[in-house]
Amino acid sequence: MTRRPGNHVLRGFSWLVYAFLYAPILVLIVYSFNTSVQTARWLGFTPRWYAQVMRDHELIESAWNSLLIALVTTVVASVVGTLAALALARLTTRVAGATRGLLFLPIVIPEIVVGAALFTFFVSVKWDLGFWSIVVAHVSFSVSYVAIVVRARLAGFDRTLEEAARDLGAGPMGVFWRVKFPLILPGIVAGALLVFTLSIDDYVITSFVAGIKTLPLHIYAKLKINATPETNAISTLLLAVTIALIAIAQWLLREPRRRK
Amino acid sequence: MTRRILIALCSLALVAGCKDKGAATTQAGAGERVVNVYSWSEYLPQDIRDQFTAQTGIKVNLTLYESNEMLLDKLQAGVSDFDLVVPSDYTVAILKRQNLVRKIDSSKIANWKNLDPRFLGRPYDPANEYAMPIFWGTTGIGYNKQAVGTIDSWHAMFDERYAGKILMLKDSRECLAVALKLMGKSINENDPAVLKQAGDMLKAQKKLVKVYTSDDFDQTLGRGDVLLAHGFNGQLAKLVATDRAKFAYIVPKEGATLWIDAFCIPAKAKHVAEAHEFLNFLLDPEIGARLVNQVSYASANAAARAKVKPEILSDPAIYPGDDVLKRCEVMADVGDETTDLIDKIWQQVLVAP
Amino acid sequence: MKRRATHLLQLLPTWLVLGVFFLAPIGIMFGISFREKGPAGTLKPVDDVKAYVASGKFLNNYRESLDPSYGGVYWRSLWVAVVTTVVCLVIGYPVAYYIAIVANPARKNLLLAMVAIPFWTSFLIRMGAWKLILGTAGVLNTFLAIFHAGPLDLLYTPGAVLTGLVYGELPFMILPLYASLEKMDRTLLEAAADLGAGRAARFWRVTVPQTMPGIVAGVVLVFIPAAGQFVVSDILGGSKGALVGNIIQEGFQRNKPLKSAIAFELTAVVAALLAMYAVYLRRRKESPL
Repeated sequence: MTRRPGNHVLRGFSWLVYAFLYAPILVLIVYSFNTSVQTARWLGFTPRWYAQVMRDHELIESAWNSLLIALVTTVVASVVGTLAALALARLTTRVAGATRGLLFLPIVIPEIVVGAALFTFFVSVKWDLGFWSIVVAHVSFSVSYVAIVVRARLAGFDRTLEEAARDLGAGPMGVFWRVKFPLILPGIVAGALLVFTLSIDDYVITSFVAGIKTLPLHIYAKLKINATPETNAISTLLLAVTIALIAIAQWLLREPRRRK
Repeated sequence: MTRRILIALCSLALVAGCKDKGAATTQAGAGERVVNVYSWSEYLPQDIRDQFTAQTGIKVNLTLYESNEMLLDKLQAGVSDFDLVVPSDYTVAILKRQNLVRKIDSSKIANWKNLDPRFLGRPYDPANEYAMPIFWGTTGIGYNKQAVGTIDSWHAMFDERYAGKILMLKDSRECLAVALKLMGKSINENDPAVLKQAGDMLKAQKKLVKVYTSDDFDQTLGRGDVLLAHGFNGQLAKLVATDRAKFAYIVPKEGATLWIDAFCIPAKAKHVAEAHEFLNFLLDPEIGARLVNQVSYASANAAARAKVKPEILSDPAIYPGDDVLKRCEVMADVGDETTDLIDKIWQQVLVAP
Repeated sequence: MKRRATHLLQLLPTWLVLGVFFLAPIGIMFGISFREKGPAGTLKPVDDVKAYVASGKFLNNYRESLDPSYGGVYWRSLWVAVVTTVVCLVIGYPVAYYIAIVANPARKNLLLAMVAIPFWTSFLIRMGAWKLILGTAGVLNTFLAIFHAGPLDLLYTPGAVLTGLVYGELPFMILPLYASLEKMDRTLLEAAADLGAGRAARFWRVTVPQTMPGIVAGVVLVFIPAAGQFVVSDILGGSKGALVGNIIQEGFQRNKPLKSAIAFELTAVVAALLAMYAVYLRRRKESPL
């Protein structure tokens, strides 16, 4: 794009939006050092809430649980959702239509109904609520999101690329992994990010089906009692961990310098 | 690149599998002694639970829920994960009616005699067989006295002068109790006509109310978003203690709710002996005092009073005198028909413009 | 034929997961929406199913949910969801465009991640932070006080709820838009430029139609949760302007039949809107799935 002024406006606007997105984050980081227990009034700087967080082994256990649940959910939902998107990009049969309807359901039905329904279901099949009940619940509402995002990516996918690859002698697996997959990968990544986000912060559905503590549940319980700056400290730490994870992921995903 | 990611994911999956096994054993390991407590507030600080484990070898697993309704849901569904639950007064009666709780064997609890007799023999459990009271308090008004002066009546919550600066609890029975008290009636009123009238009062009040919440009423008052907050005494007392020149808490002259939270043992509890041991531990005078000092709510453990911090003991918001208690009522189970009517009325208050 | 079988096999995991862990539980809840409530959260047992159905009693909950007092709530919920979606689209499109097309390609993943990172901290705490920002003695008003500007009454208003909703839904608009923009064929834009189309024309006649799948995906992912949400209106709205989600959540345990009925009605309305949209898109050969 060679329109300079337009680009500047876009850049400026985008950074404004980023500022909007991060304003509350900044506020909660700053207030996590507040001496006052009544979080609104600033009374002085203190790192003691962080010390309290480190001593809170329930919190650490909850955070770990949430992370694991989100990771497993992301992997499973991404695989299932991508497969579905791939199939739906080609099929027009009634099965495809029914699948489309099925995939829309988790998005359309309010979370509270989904949560209560899953709770009733687990109890009736005598499935003990624990780690896997949460994962299953999370996967069931996440698949649709991946499917939609990957499908958006697949729309108008250039089949001639596939044909070209086949003409060049690639087998069906080769065509998929070397042509199609790299091209839809940004869509899968976007979908995976979405699912991870949904899972790690899910409160409503998790509150119904949880057998172990997750971070949102722990935070919600703490917020209910009294929102001390400790909850802000928790969030700040989580943010730092998340950013560290992103950095690691960036390192994992970087292009290798030399290719054979 | 793909290989690296796959390796990372596989190792995480392995760890996930191990973690799950770990989680399973903490809940109810064979041979390991545990007591699973399901409570609706942070009544049991970590250090107290740790001390119990150190003394008896029984691990305490605490799970928090957010409302009596959620507790009922889980118990009705037949969930048997919990050995102790902490319902509020009228919920105990409902649990009894539905046979969801079992009797507490007070003979197994040596410290039972430490309980304050004022909180025994209550309507929800006349024979003291199913519930052990633990904390009690009042529901009154916390207010900014620099802004509104001294108040002593629920009328302040309906005063046009404070429009947009009032907070009410998001609780059907507590809000109706306010209206009923202003009408000079009992908070356990059954008469549909009276209840409808109370509902109309609340609907008219709505445009004066800024916030309905049962969670951070103290914070909202503290931040200055409202000047008058309907709320529970423990949290409000903590706020008042931070600035006695600015804030105050009163139980209005018309009377208010006296709430009592109690421990019950679910009918399907698996670790009944451990539950009894834990209850006995909580009734120890020293432990009881530490609980009060940490959570700022008055305890039903009379023997603990000796060791409670003097500033808490002398705080009328936390330990009100008998004159205040006289004008307070405990919520009773008003029966299904009235409960349904109350739900309908409250619904209309919520959807009112 | 082999191709068809492969595709069907690709759909199998979806059917397994959603069939067992979604359809079955929802089916149970749907059944509950036709029952009568019992005392304190239980269900009244139905002794004679035929008579129950014949008497029309099984529709009682749905009848009750159409009580006129709920009318204002339903309209308000629709309005809130529409405004949230439009604002998200208007704000999100430029940002997605910037990341996908204008920004340095090496930075794309980072910029994308920056959109998502805030959402890996607790939603509840971020809403709490908005309370600190918008409150009477909050960050914004403290800042304004420096310029002697009066304290603005921002918290516990419909505006605060909207801010919270847009804040919470924005990444669900930006990410699908990005996915769609990123794979757009830019040579079409160059061709349009060569044919003399100005910037506006290029945008509305090439870019937007090309990214319609992303737009639709974003709209779907934002509108629907916005229509049924209840957390933001509780935290930032002070539970004042009741939305459908609030009605469903309030007293859910004590009257599951009625609340489930309302929830399924919400579902039906949203599904109907989606279906209309899907038909429209099918005509243009742009279904989101």
